[in-house]
Amino acid sequence: MKKSKSIKIFVSVLVILVLSMNMMACSTPAGETDTEGDAAAVEGFSWDMASGSTIKVMFNQHPYAEAIIKKIPEFTEETGIEVEYSLTPEENYFDKLTIALNSRSGDPDLFMTGAYQIWEYAPAGYTADLDQFLNDPNMVDPSYDVDDFYEGIIGGLRWDLKAGHKIGTGPLWALPLGFESNVLAYNKRVFDEMDLEVPTTMQELLAVCEELKEFGGPGTYPLAIRGARNWGTIHPGYMTTYSNYGAVDFTIEDGKLISQVNSPEAVEMTEMWVDLIEVGGAPSWSSYTWYQAGADFGAGKAAMLFDATCNGYFQNPEGASEEAGNLAWVAPPLPEGKTEINSNLWTWSMAMNEASKNKTAAWLFLQYFTSADYQKWSITEGNCVDPPRKSVFESQEVQDVLATNTGYIEAFNATVPGTTIQFTPQPHFFQTTTEWAATLQDIVAGNYDSVQEGMDQLKKTMDEIVADVEAE
Amino acid sequence: MMKNRLMDLLKNVSAYTVICLYSIFAIFPLIWLVIISFKSDTQMYNTTFIFTPTLDNYKIVLFEGADYIQAFINNIIVSGGAVLLSLLVGVPAAYAFARYNFAKKEDLAFTILSFKFAPEILVILPLFMIYQKIGLYDTYFGLIWVYQLITLPLLIWVLRGYFEEISVEVEQAANLDGYPWYSVFWKILVPLIKPGLVASSLLAFIFAWNSFTFPLLLSGFQIETVTVAALRYIGSDTVHYGQMAVAAAVAALPEVVLALIIQKHLVRGLSFGAVKG
Repeated sequence: MKKSKSIKIFVSVLVILVLSMNMMACSTPAGETDTEGDAAAVEGFSWDMASGSTIKVMFNQHPYAEAIIKKIPEFTEETGIEVEYSLTPEENYFDKLTIALNSRSGDPDLFMTGAYQIWEYAPAGYTADLDQFLNDPNMVDPSYDVDDFYEGIIGGLRWDLKAGHKIGTGPLWALPLGFESNVLAYNKRVFDEMDLEVPTTMQELLAVCEELKEFGGPGTYPLAIRGARNWGTIHPGYMTTYSNYGAVDFTIEDGKLISQVNSPEAVEMTEMWVDLIEVGGAPSWSSYTWYQAGADFGAGKAAMLFDATCNGYFQNPEGASEEAGNLAWVAPPLPEGKTEINSNLWTWSMAMNEASKNKTAAWLFLQYFTSADYQKWSITEGNCVDPPRKSVFESQEVQDVLATNTGYIEAFNATVPGTTIQFTPQPHFFQTTTEWAATLQDIVAGNYDSVQEGMDQLKKTMDEIVADVEAE
Repeated sequence: MMKNRLMDLLKNVSAYTVICLYSIFAIFPLIWLVIISFKSDTQMYNTTFIFTPTLDNYKIVLFEGADYIQAFINNIIVSGGAVLLSLLVGVPAAYAFARYNFAKKEDLAFTILSFKFAPEILVILPLFMIYQKIGLYDTYFGLIWVYQLITLPLLIWVLRGYFEEISVEVEQAANLDGYPWYSVFWKILVPLIKPGLVASSLLAFIFAWNSFTFPLLLSGFQIETVTVAALRYIGSDTVHYGQMAVAAAVAALPEVVLALIIQKHLVRGLSFGAVKG
């Protein structure tokens, strides 16, 4: 009995000892949280100022990431910074990233993100304010021109952290690697064979859809658009057209966000969209994501694609798809009487982990891969498209590459000035837009007597979701 | 007599027809996997059975960039390591649960079983933070350790049933014959539980091999397993279904080969311990 008691005491002491040693080992002494960046802030900029460091970067599987990975050895040679990276498909990428950021371990130092994710990450303190580096002459290569980014694109990554406030002001939370605006892509061969005019208005688009029903036999259909029950359905063609009808998602009333999805403009636009789906959409539209829409367009199953610029672009190089070389682009069709083009923005960007312990090295990486030189290479040789820098887009080499895609440059030029994020920043973005997609599906399925009824119900749901958001 | 024969024949024919139909239903996804592994991206969406076969997908996955092969080797290391560690710990544990009576025995056995209850995604954040702190993140041993949540409960619970089946007198007889305890264990008990050992090890290996959430979230920079690497072929530009099919076919190979080798133990092994006389 006595023996067992002394064993218990011994084990308890041992456990306490191990735990306290572990805690001592795990806790970071004050002062060690200082970033290497602060220590390295010396006179004058130099690419090898963080030589010997190792940084970790999390990439989403994308041509932008693959192009960067090809150039990492050159980056390491020039800066002396070793880079470890992980590459994860989008389906699982944000789960992995959110868990990593949530742990605040400083790992990864850099990560790819979209602008909408920043509305969750920045208020939580996961992302570093990049202005602190941009405003420090010792940290910026003299040839790095931040004003060269299209204003609407880089502005999409600035936000003052106040729900309801439009993007474009406040700290810069990421730098753009590339972007997507939303345009109408069409199959030139089909349009030529059927002697059809390319639509410039939504009414013309609907009329062309009528003409293109089963244009190539059973299984073919006029217009590929996304329809899956998630936020991805709302942000490309739908939100672009929504803003072109003059509709907005939220307004601020008495310090609260109030959904405007049942406004007359929103309902009129959604009625048009539902008509398009019924007349021209894929038979299994409600399961369509980026992949199905793009693949059907490339395979010649769909005659048109209303989606991100690069979705069709990736189908156009020789060997990429059945209809490669036949694809062409125009600006998004507008409602009758409208001339100003708006397009919703998606930008793959790179942000820095606020908890990173290698901020100088991370900043050098970020600067290197958002520089004009690199971005030009990424278009001409790296299979990327839609550069966020004006000088890169306007360079002759890039123009030569893009000119092989009929109408791409014209559509780009017409759309870029009006390309920005058309949504109102708020932390429940993914929930509200997923509800939006679900309502759209329900309306198409005939679960509501009218579009108005569906949108009225959606407004109520969205108001409930954002009820806890305090807007100013 | 004649009528009976006719009835038997009819029974046989209908039974075989059902089996054939079920076989086609069960095997078709695999056949489809093999078919699309020979299709190019351009033929993926507009052809079904008639197309120009290509070996490009195999070339890309297996030879261009060593990533997938490396992931395959990683998978063998972590899944094999996880099963070995589980055997090392699980066999004595199962024996103890079957033979000895100690305080809170059933509670402990239930706790081990409960490792399987929690969805992986729910426990991943604390695991991630602990792994980062103690340096197990993105290491072989880290994955082998966390895979114990998958493999250990299975092994212990199956083998416990086996040990309970063997009467204590067998061990006592061997003891009387002068065998030390470890010889009794190796020479008497292990051969008797072999079918269960083989079957549960194989199942544990398959579960570990197919694990996705743990290797996705607890590794990735240095170590990548096939389940995670196979997703590489879903690019943001397009889904390379042909390459994915090759990756899936290659990933399934070890499981199929192992299952064929130990087929005779498999069904017996899993059903034997289940019914007590």
